Amino acid sequence: MAKSADLNFLRQVILFRDIADSECDAIWSRLEERRLRRGEALFREGESGTELFFIRTGSVIVSKHVAGRVEQVLARLGPGDFFGEMSLFDGQPRSATIQAEADTVLYWLDRANLDQLIEQNPRAATAFFTQLVLVFIKRLRDSSDLVAEVTRWGLEATGLDVERPATGGH
Amino acid sequence: MSTTGAKSPARAKIELLVRSEAGDDFHVTKVESSLAYRQARPQRIPEGQYEVAALRSNVRRTTTYVVKNRLTEKYIELTEPESFLWNQMNGRTSVEELGVAYVLKFGAFDFDIIHTLIDKLQRAELLTMRPISRLREMLARNRKNPAARAAEATLKALEKLTVGSRRAHDAFTRVYRYGAFVLFSPVGLAALALVTVLGVKGTREIWQDSSDLYAGFGQHPVIALLLVKLFFFLTLISHQMLHALALVHYGRRVKEFGFTMLHGFLPTFYADVTDVFMGSRRARLVTGISGPLVHLFLGSLYIYLASQCGPGLLKSFLVASAILQSQSLFFSLYPFCFLEMDGYHVLVDWLGLPRLKSESIAFVKEGLWKRLKGGGRLNREETVFVGYVALSTFSIAAFVGLNVWFFVHTA
Repeated sequence: MAKSADLNFLRQVILFRDIADSECDAIWSRLEERRLRRGEALFREGESGTELFFIRTGSVIVSKHVAGRVEQVLARLGPGDFFGEMSLFDGQPRSATIQAEADTVLYWLDRANLDQLIEQNPRAATAFFTQLVLVFIKRLRDSSDLVAEVTRWGLEATGLDVERPATGGH
Repeated sequence: MSTTGAKSPARAKIELLVRSEAGDDFHVTKVESSLAYRQARPQRIPEGQYEVAALRSNVRRTTTYVVKNRLTEKYIELTEPESFLWNQMNGRTSVEELGVAYVLKFGAFDFDIIHTLIDKLQRAELLTMRPISRLREMLARNRKNPAARAAEATLKALEKLTVGSRRAHDAFTRVYRYGAFVLFSPVGLAALALVTVLGVKGTREIWQDSSDLYAGFGQHPVIALLLVKLFFFLTLISHQMLHALALVHYGRRVKEFGFTMLHGFLPTFYADVTDVFMGSRRARLVTGISGPLVHLFLGSLYIYLASQCGPGLLKSFLVASAILQSQSLFFSLYPFCFLEMDGYHVLVDWLGLPRLKSESIAFVKEGLWKRLKGGGRLNREETVFVGYVALSTFSIAAFVGLNVWFFVHTA
């Protein structure tokens, strides 16, 4: 049985926003806890894994390898945010590295537990997936903005003026 | 990532996570595109992959240059100023330094020409952009060496000690308005002259009775001298403040003021006075020498006060401090020591050779021997290069020799 604080935490996660308390109780019983110390990596880009993680306290950095020891920070996630959903569904290796920026408490749900949730609580599962699609859309929009911003950075950093017609060459 | 606005968007930033060598730690840094651009070091493609032809116009009485990329068969035409910039693009000079070099050469600032030229050269595939910091590049190349790795990590840690303010200009403007303007008036000059005369008088008196000058340090001369050094270090801030105030005096902007570990190991205060290049030559000269004059003032004051004191700790302290200030005055103004101190900047401004040190060293290392072997004569510029290297080498040898002599004789 989830405590009131636990239910409050689940309510913070957008995926569980429209799910009834009794169903949240059922979900809570399937979640496992994982603690990370500041600087500790949960998983790295390219590793395998199919868990979906929810942040209860602390924050993590989502980054993608660029060159050498340098990674681009894609996002910072805090309490109520979730990650890992891509590998949960497609089973592909992790697309980014997750590293704790502060001491962090996470809860995770794997594919088997999710399947059980779908089977036993179809209404809760529908609410869960509806929110998930909305989050996917938002993240897709954020990714497009990020691509545009990185392109702008590249143009500004190199001083390349693409609006000007090419000069010089014969 | 920063958000983009519809009107005049802010400079784009990217956030990067950089792992430690061992991979167990990391730091996150935000890099603004404009910073990356200013610190990039444009590099011409290797010699042999391009050729340059000068075209003299008898009508305009100007020379333009055609540069050809031998690999791509692309041609571009460069004006005299563009050709000057092209010659500076050796992979060691940042875009920011190119701007300074341009001002010193042509007496006016035109950042657009640099921007346009880089764009033009990139399109003709005549240029690559290299990252900042030669020291870092060297250390990065030798990461397999544990010592280089340790040095890199230490430099990185020490560089974090930088404390600076980009809003210092307003503070300096207030300081100037509420009294510091006097320093740049005839009254300030007269006060400096008076203190200098008193200093000369004090020096003569001290010189005549120089026995046991350091007796006042008693049983702990080393600790006492370290304290003198510490006191001296604290006065260094006034050196940088005078540079900044001189900038305000000439209506230019102090871009930054703060404390840093220079090259990662040399504790120093700094003032970003690059805006002075928008000012007159007089402004550059006054800004350049205003800092060192602090040492003249303090050194003279200390030695005069010492001459008025009886034997004891205070007298020894003042004499030692005066000597340190005199040394600083000399090193700040003396241009021939391979260090780019204030005197060096005044010299390069006067000569109109903004990259005197690097060009001199490069010529002596790579071109001088060939020239002498071929029996050719040095032109005026090359003579200056050789003179700079010769004088600097001699000065450093003399300095080391003098210190050895001093050490042997005092020991």
